[in-house]
Order: sequence, then structure tokens, then C-alpha cells
Amino acid sequence: MIEITDLNKKFNTQSVLKDLSLTIAGGEFCILVGANGAGKTTLLRILAALVRPDSGEVLLEKEPLFADPSLRRKIGYLGHQSLFYGDLSAWENLRHYARLYNLSNSEEIIRKCITQSGLTPHQHKPLRTYSRGMQQRLALERALMHSPSLLLLDEPHSGLDQDAANGLDERLRQLHLKGCTLLVAAHRPQRLLQSATHAAWLREGQITDKVTLDQLSDIPGLDSYIREVK
Amino acid sequence: MTGFRRYLQTVWAIFRKDVQVEWRGRQGVPVMLVFSLLVVFLFNFALQLSPQLQSGLASGLLWVTLAFAATLGLNRSAALERENDALNGLMLAPVDRSAIFFGKTLSNLASTLLVAFILMPTISLFFGQNLLKPALFLVVILGTGAYTCLGTILSALSIQSRTRDVLLPVLLYPLALPILIAASEASRGILSGQTLGELQNWLYLLLACGILFTATGLLLFETILEE
Repeated sequence: MIEITDLNKKFNTQSVLKDLSLTIAGGEFCILVGANGAGKTTLLRILAALVRPDSGEVLLEKEPLFADPSLRRKIGYLGHQSLFYGDLSAWENLRHYARLYNLSNSEEIIRKCITQSGLTPHQHKPLRTYSRGMQQRLALERALMHSPSLLLLDEPHSGLDQDAANGLDERLRQLHLKGCTLLVAAHRPQRLLQSATHAAWLREGQITDKVTLDQLSDIPGLDSYIREVK
Repeated sequence: MTGFRRYLQTVWAIFRKDVQVEWRGRQGVPVMLVFSLLVVFLFNFALQLSPQLQSGLASGLLWVTLAFAATLGLNRSAALERENDALNGLMLAPVDRSAIFFGKTLSNLASTLLVAFILMPTISLFFGQNLLKPALFLVVILGTGAYTCLGTILSALSIQSRTRDVLLPVLLYPLALPILIAASEASRGILSGQTLGELQNWLYLLLACGILFTATGLLLFETILEE
């Protein structure tokens, strides 16, 4: 699904990713772990084609990611921000995204997204009146509304209360069962251990280890990192 | 053909979104309008010029006011995309990113033209010269078109900078000088009774600036956004 080879990215003089290589097969649910500033967000932004790497190759389904804009249709991205317009309602924001993705049955999809996020009573209120958690729930639906085959999530649980976080875990599990490939950056990844299949450890700009969760105990450092970070 | 249609749909979607946000928030055009009208009032009362001098001032005042008002609009338009990282949402769309350039330019142009079309009768009223001439409308469309193309490119360039509010005018005004000079001269010529044929050099310069900055946006906008 994704093949990353010798990826490098610098911001000014600071090297964030250094010769990073990583392969994610179709259908994997991979947790990307790493300390603050390790480069998780930068890696996900490159995979979402939002930032161009300085060097290296990113292939999505064997095609260069940055060569063909239509490849971005296969990607769903949820970052630290909601990507919504505060003056528009949930309905209007989603309709805008439906137009950007040229979705044919947009009304039905938007209705489903709003129902799924539990925001039906608030759907016509401006987004700026929503709490962080409500925006995050809607942002997840925005990332999924065009049915991407690759989902990139950056700290998706942030801002969610316990019930919403549990709902998100269940949603991710179902998406994985349907065949969606997931790469989830998580600073505190324990809650994803039940549904994820792989874990990749990003340290000092490189993926130092990538294993299935069954093999986690073979990498004591990663195992203890995942289980002990709180 | 389907790809081009898809591209135009994205341009239109971005334009519609900007109009809708402006309609809901009313933070762009009203500010530009109030600023423009204040400038006209201030010039009218502060300078106390004779009617003959006032009429000579009209074209210069129109373009200086439009340039400043358009910069306010460009800053507001960039701020809109900065809030909640909404620009990244546009960048996720599966079409060439020059569509974002054209969509944003179109909405910036629409708001600037709206202000211009209100400003022209106002200046006519205060400065005793009729600005409501078809040839002048043509110059305004060409001039604001080139100016907003350039402004949209530069606002994308400055959007990530901490000093963006200052950076945009500092970058924009020197580069927009050819547009402002050509537009002012063409406007002055029209107001003094010259024909479009006599002003063709200025009009060609405006057209050339418009084509140059449109091509720049088409070719470089994606790189600017990704950096």
C-alpha cells in the first residue's frame, strides 16, 4: 500500500526525518509511536501529500504519491486541527468537502456523517460554537466521507471524552475489518493495542523498529515504551 | 475533458465556500468598504482642493484606495484559511492545486470589484467627476484582476510567516507598482477624454501583468503551498 524509501525532510536547518524507510501493506493497522518531536506529524503530513519531502520516494499503491493529484482521493487525513471553517455549520462544512471530492450522493453521505458523529441536533450551528471533542468527531467523519482506502490519523483521541474515545476505537476496528489501511500516530498508544496489527517506532527521524503486535516482546524497548508511556 | 470539468468544479467549490463564509461572517467586504469610504471622506475634507484639482486626483485616489482595500481583503482571505488549518483541507482535494489559486483569486477579485463598483460613484459624488464610464470599468476589471492574482500568490507565500500581516503589503506593493501605475494612467486618460486606442500601451501592460501573474500562480502555487 505505502512504500517509503530514504525519506528526508528538514525544516530550516533542523533535520526531522533522516533516510526514513517504511512499508505498510494493504489492510494493516499500524500504530506509529515516538516521543514528542520525533517526526510523527511530519511523516503523516508527507503521506497525506501536504508537505513535500526534500528527498526520498513515497509510493502509494506503487505510484509516486506526488505525481498524480487523483491519488489523494485514496487518502483520509485527520490532523491536529479540524480543517473546518468556524463560520459555517457542520452541514455546510461537509458539503464543501463533498464538492471538493466531487461526491455524487453527497446529501446522503453528509447526513450519515453527521448522524455517525452524533451531532444531528447541532448540524446547523456554526462550527465555532462546537467543543474541541465535537469538532474532532466531525473531523473524523470528514476524513472518512470519501471512503479512503488509507487512513492517516494524528493523535485522533485528543480532545475526546471517554465515551467518544471508546466510540473512535470501535470505529477504527470496524474500518480495519472492512479492509481499510490505518496508520495512527499516538503518543499514548495503549488503547489501540487491542485492534492494531503492527507498531512502528519513530526515533530521531528514522523508523528503528516495525513489528507485528505478536512480536512486540521481541523488541523490549518498544514493548516497554508502548505499555509504559502514560 | 472530465478532468478539466472536475478542475473547474473545484475552483467553483472554493469560490462558493468563500462567498458563503463571507456571507456568514461579514468580516471582509464590510471592512474593505468602510476603509475605502473613510479614505474618500478624509481626502475630500482634509485636502480642500479646488474642483479642477479634485477631478485630477480622482483616478489616483481610486487606485490607491483600491490597493489598500484589496490588501485588507487578501489578509482576511488568508486568515480564513489559516484558522483551523483549513488550507490543508483544500490541499487534500484530489485535483491540481492551481485550482486553489484560481478559486481564491476569483473570490478575492469578486470582493475587490464589489468595493470598486461602490467606490466609483462615491468618488464621482465627492470629487465632481463622472467615473461611471464603460472604459473605466474595463480598466478596473483588468487592474484588479492582475492585482488580486499577484496578491493571492503572495498571501499564500506569507501565510506561514509570523509576520504575515506586515509581510504581505511589503511584498505586494513594490511588485504591484507596474499594475498601479498602468491602471492610474489609463484611468486618468479615460477621465480626461482619451480613447482606449490612445491608451493601448497601458492596457497592454495591465493585460501582460494579468497573464504573467496568472501563469505564475498556475505554475508555482502548488510549490508555494507545499513549502
